Amino acid sequence: MADSGTAAEGKAAPALAGGEAVGDELKDDTPGVSGEVMLVNTDSFEECNHDLDTQFSGGEDGPDSPLRKVQREQENELVGGMGNVSLAEEEGKQGSEGSGEAVAAAAADDSEEECVDEEYLHSPEWIQKEKHVFILSESGKPIYTRYGKEDRLVTLFGLMQALVSFVADSEDVIRCIVAGDHKFVFLVKSPMILVGVSHSVASIPQLIMQLTYVHNQIVSVLTGSALTRMFEKRRNYDFRHLLGGTERLLDNLLNMLDSHPSFLLGGVQCLPLATATRDTITQTIIQYCSKIKNLVFGLIICQNQLISLVRMKKFLLHPADLHLLFNLVNATESLKTSENWMPICLPKFDPNGYLYGHVSYLADDCEACLLLLSVDREQFFTLSEAKQKIVDRLRRHHCLEGINTAIRTSAYTVGAVGAPELRHFLYKSKTTAQFTCPEYTAPYNTPEQQRQLFGLYQQLHHRVHSVSRPLKMVYMVMDTHTLLGWVTKEFELYATLEPLVTKHNAIVYINKLLRWIKNEENKLFILSSPTF
Amino acid sequence: MDRKMYRKVDMKVVMLGQMSCGKTSLVERFIYKRFNSQYQATIGAAFGACCVTVQGCEVCVGLWDTAGSERYNAMSPLYYRGAKAAVICYDITDDESVERAKFWANEIQLHEEECRVYLCGTKLDLVLQDPKARQVDLHDMLDYAETINGRLFETSSKTGENVQELFNTIVQDYVGDPKTDLSAPQDSSFRLHTQRIREKCC
Repeated sequence: MADSGTAAEGKAAPALAGGEAVGDELKDDTPGVSGEVMLVNTDSFEECNHDLDTQFSGGEDGPDSPLRKVQREQENELVGGMGNVSLAEEEGKQGSEGSGEAVAAAAADDSEEECVDEEYLHSPEWIQKEKHVFILSESGKPIYTRYGKEDRLVTLFGLMQALVSFVADSEDVIRCIVAGDHKFVFLVKSPMILVGVSHSVASIPQLIMQLTYVHNQIVSVLTGSALTRMFEKRRNYDFRHLLGGTERLLDNLLNMLDSHPSFLLGGVQCLPLATATRDTITQTIIQYCSKIKNLVFGLIICQNQLISLVRMKKFLLHPADLHLLFNLVNATESLKTSENWMPICLPKFDPNGYLYGHVSYLADDCEACLLLLSVDREQFFTLSEAKQKIVDRLRRHHCLEGINTAIRTSAYTVGAVGAPELRHFLYKSKTTAQFTCPEYTAPYNTPEQQRQLFGLYQQLHHRVHSVSRPLKMVYMVMDTHTLLGWVTKEFELYATLEPLVTKHNAIVYINKLLRWIKNEENKLFILSSPTF
Repeated sequence: MDRKMYRKVDMKVVMLGQMSCGKTSLVERFIYKRFNSQYQATIGAAFGACCVTVQGCEVCVGLWDTAGSERYNAMSPLYYRGAKAAVICYDITDDESVERAKFWANEIQLHEEECRVYLCGTKLDLVLQDPKARQVDLHDMLDYAETINGRLFETSSKTGENVQELFNTIVQDYVGDPKTDLSAPQDSSFRLHTQRIREKCC
């Protein structure tokens, strides 16, 4: 192996002896690389950094919004933001609901309520939660708390708002406060303020990224423009009126953020599937959907993994948007029993308008879920018919069985690689924004051990992506494990190995791993990019 | 005409009402004959179909179970447009839900002349268990139902009480209506968009 030793990766590896450059010969042969892209490819942290720099312009749909583009292309004017109408409704109610005072002030007046809040705030169980997330409006109105009841925490929300406005007064933005083990992270996205309080190992940029996901989830439910409009109309608007039922999505998202590597990596996991089966599925979607106007994306997913994605030419799906779709399906048990028609805003696609989604499981005997996303809100029955045809054809070609078998058997363990001292890994192909990882095996059997491993990956990820000193390779030997992080133009790899592995063997194993992934790449990744 | 075909919707019915008043549970009881006590807010709307045989006539009821949250108000016309019946639900243990029910009743009367209104007080089992739980008077609602020319039912999705009766009545009223043309069930996507024009011709 490693015969030339001049690769950039080798030189940049700070902890690795220069001569033993890893995997040079794999350069042209990197696993999971594809020129055909269906997902917007991201560096793990681009998501976060990009989002910090750009805020939604808010307000109207610009002439260049993707939704408009789809419509122009289809010469169809059927879509309309619901925000307008719900706003009109809201104005009507405004008169009857005259509680026009800032929450902080109201809370200060009401000493009895404050007393209750105090009690709540001092409950050790509540305080010791590993990660709190709070959402409030810019005027201090509570919107959401991960633990407890938000209306019992008004004083706390008042305090958070005060902190934000105090810093805003000096024309600055508060990012974080570090106090001992605790990190207090702020994300100000007008008209909302998101606050995370954590004593986990997650770094500040990682926590901010998580808050960005939470923000995206809310935008996905209401759209950015509706949020802004509502707030401009009424500064003290109680967004909970509109967000009813969304807590479930936020709760589920936050649980996933703490345990699922897809958010950390900014990538999507595919259900490993034989190429022939996947091709048939994709062809079937194309066959019955390509004639349907205004259909932007058609995809089949199951258990947070992608089975197939077909898109309208010119439009890519961002992994962050796909994560929201996963979350929606994952958190909504009731989708299993019916055909559903729902407005969904994909913030990365267009934060200011809705797509309309036909969402249904393929069949009672198949756990995969089909989503057809259109800009035409009148299209339910057209899509419903297409769905039936898709399912019929998939059944004829035994694809439903294929999917069921894959769901049961496709997960692999690290043993398949044949590298004995390798314990677990995450491999992300950057060009396709997809990643793969094995099931947890010993020593990561219990949820607690898995949580620790995830923490290690977060630390490793943070070291590699450190803003002040980004690294291409990290090799850390610790008491109970050896960690390796490696980032190239094409991929990101995070691996844990036995603590006593030699550096030489680690390299051998990692090369073996890359070759193994290369061999399996057609199963593990979707390397084509089908369009309607 | 294959009446068993899922897609041949003969009658469009829409469920409306305040959040968490029990619309989805009512639909679950009617279509699947089951009850799930776990509450999960509906997102957007769910479509389900169920065939009912009344007076020797099989009618496929296409049910739109809409989300109660206010943020979906703007989409509601999509679901009630062309509906033959609206089941407007309120929670008899929550008097606030009546306001919302009246709002929907007005909305339907304003926009859908052809659509009959069926008021449905839900969670009857809670009241039978503990009469003090009742916040909405039956007779007040009966009076209101009369003023809007609608019918009233009190149901329990948990026990199934009155649920079948409610939907049987809806279908009977539809079948018994001389305006109903039973000879030509049509493809739903066609019906939904062209119904009004066709009726003017008759």
